Amino acid sequence: MAVIKFEHVVKDYGTVRAVKDLNLVGELGEFLCLLGPSGCGKSSTLRMVAGLEFISEGSIFFDDERINDLEPRERDIAMVFEAYALYPHMTVRQNIENPMRLRKYPKDEIAKRLKMAADLLEIGELLDRKPAQLSGGQKQRVAIGRAIVREPKVFLFDEPISHLDAKLRAHMRGEIKRLQKELGTSMIYVTHDQIEALTMADKVAVMNLGVLQQVGTPEQIYHEPANEWVATFVGEPAMNILPVEIVEKDGGVFAVNADLSVQLGEKHRIACEARAKESDKRSAKLGIRAPDLNFGVASDPNSVEARVYVTEPLGEETVVQLRLKSGAPLAMRVKGIVKAALDETVWVTMDASKLHLFDDETGVAIAQSAVVC
Amino acid sequence: MARDVSVSHEYVEQVVRRRKRLHRAANIGAGVFLVLFIFWTLMPFVIMLVSSFKASGDAFSLPSYGNWGTALKKFWVFKPSLEHYKTLFVTDGYARYFKNSLLTAGGSAVVSVLFGASAAYALSRSNFRGKGNIYFWVLTTRMAPVVAVVVPLYTLFKIFGLLSSIPGLIVAYTTFNLPFAIWILKGFFDNIPYSVEEAYMVDGQGRFRAFVRILPLAAPGLVSVFVLSVFFAWNDFLFASIMGGNAARTLPVATAQMKSSTTIRWGEITAAGVLTTAPMMLLGLLIRKYLITGLTMGAVRE
Repeated sequence: MAVIKFEHVVKDYGTVRAVKDLNLVGELGEFLCLLGPSGCGKSSTLRMVAGLEFISEGSIFFDDERINDLEPRERDIAMVFEAYALYPHMTVRQNIENPMRLRKYPKDEIAKRLKMAADLLEIGELLDRKPAQLSGGQKQRVAIGRAIVREPKVFLFDEPISHLDAKLRAHMRGEIKRLQKELGTSMIYVTHDQIEALTMADKVAVMNLGVLQQVGTPEQIYHEPANEWVATFVGEPAMNILPVEIVEKDGGVFAVNADLSVQLGEKHRIACEARAKESDKRSAKLGIRAPDLNFGVASDPNSVEARVYVTEPLGEETVVQLRLKSGAPLAMRVKGIVKAALDETVWVTMDASKLHLFDDETGVAIAQSAVVC
Repeated sequence: MARDVSVSHEYVEQVVRRRKRLHRAANIGAGVFLVLFIFWTLMPFVIMLVSSFKASGDAFSLPSYGNWGTALKKFWVFKPSLEHYKTLFVTDGYARYFKNSLLTAGGSAVVSVLFGASAAYALSRSNFRGKGNIYFWVLTTRMAPVVAVVVPLYTLFKIFGLLSSIPGLIVAYTTFNLPFAIWILKGFFDNIPYSVEEAYMVDGQGRFRAFVRILPLAAPGLVSVFVLSVFFAWNDFLFASIMGGNAARTLPVATAQMKSSTTIRWGEITAAGVLTTAPMMLLGLLIRKYLITGLTMGAVRE
């Protein structure tokens, strides 16, 4: 196990800066997830840790050892590639034994670890097959098996389950998480799937366009997004974002626009007052997640009138797409089946404690306790 | 108003019958063409092979024009003789030319595959300034006619003392085999996922050993390039005649010298022709399936 430290790490591909001044720490034995859309720099970051890409600037440390100039084989890492990268001319047995043979493990140790991996991943009956004879899920398990037999300092997983079907992905999420807990090895896991990040990781580092947006636990990332981009990237459906003006009236502070007038909670009230004193700024963006909206009546506090655009039943829940009076979209996610006619008028209530406010220019969250990068 | 279905059925049947007739005619036409083509292509080899086993004078002993029956009989019915083959090996020392052809063709193929694989790997995996230009330059050397470079090459070979030597001829053949090897093998390396080498490097191999480890995955391409390089070099006449001299005389050049201003040794020429073409034809027949698979595998990027 090792502590992984990134200090002012930069990665350039010619004139394109893929990773910009990354500062991050992965603690001992921690499951650190790098989350972001395609092109955000997460895979480049992982590959720099693996030694498969040169580090343009900055340093990466395993504990106190700077690894910039070490070859991949000298870094004591194990990696599971997105496309599995199994050796096509070798059997499953040879694939898993290969890293141990290269490092000259004794024969009995190789046999013991092979059995451990085969039992853990339930691939015992596949050992004499070649990769071409395996399904996607089987290849993925073999790739993981090849990684875990060595007990390295760090595991590196590069979107290993992105090519699997939904059911198998759901199953493998749990398996990988349990495996990491059992082995206790530090892990960096790269994914663009927020569900994987939120369900598996101890810590999530969200990246966009090469810049680290926020680092925190899955709960912090979801409930306390550091900026508008993180707020809309994480969560399904995406967080509703509405432009508002902050006004004081009736003894309280309200977020107001043509469709709604929502009273803000204490923390937002204090933050907005301080903001107004500093820069006399009143405009902002109001955020509310789809599960934090409920059906109500006109007389409810913080209620807003809308019409039903379309309902999307998901089995135990329903996503209801709404349109406010101004035409602005609003999405809510409620338990059970919702039977509503198209364009039916409804009233939707917002819990003030679940509201988010963002600066309308910078997108930074107002009155957020999360780590802003 | 109901449609007149019976008319359209008749029309469809007419169309189907017409298509069947055209299809049959096309098949017959293709068959006739193939037979003529095979006859046109193989007949010279058959005549050469048969003539090489006829005693002196027999090959040209033909009846008058128009007497096709007797001509065919005289062509196929004869007393076989090995005299021309004996003359080649005993009197003319043909074993030496055979050895020279083997050494130069094989040597050039080995050098081309070794350096070609290395260059192709670098072009496939590395990103460096001018990579595209270098690759294009490599390809253009194959576009230029070989005869255009013979004179400057001759001058260079003379300066470096490479004329009339086996190593010199190997170098000469490599000038056209190496670009070919790079061109074909780059496609093969492009088709091998880079993550396989990366997995080797993470598992504990250095960069060079990871490259060696993936060579079996490019084996069809390596074998195809080797065999084709042997073909090209074996059949070369231009470089061998101008730069090979006496010490590095190969089969094609030795065969051409059997025709002088006073005599043409047809018997020995046909035997030499058989000795020159037969090995390559046999090799081609043996590996033709793998050659096609090997060359086309690198064509499509997966």
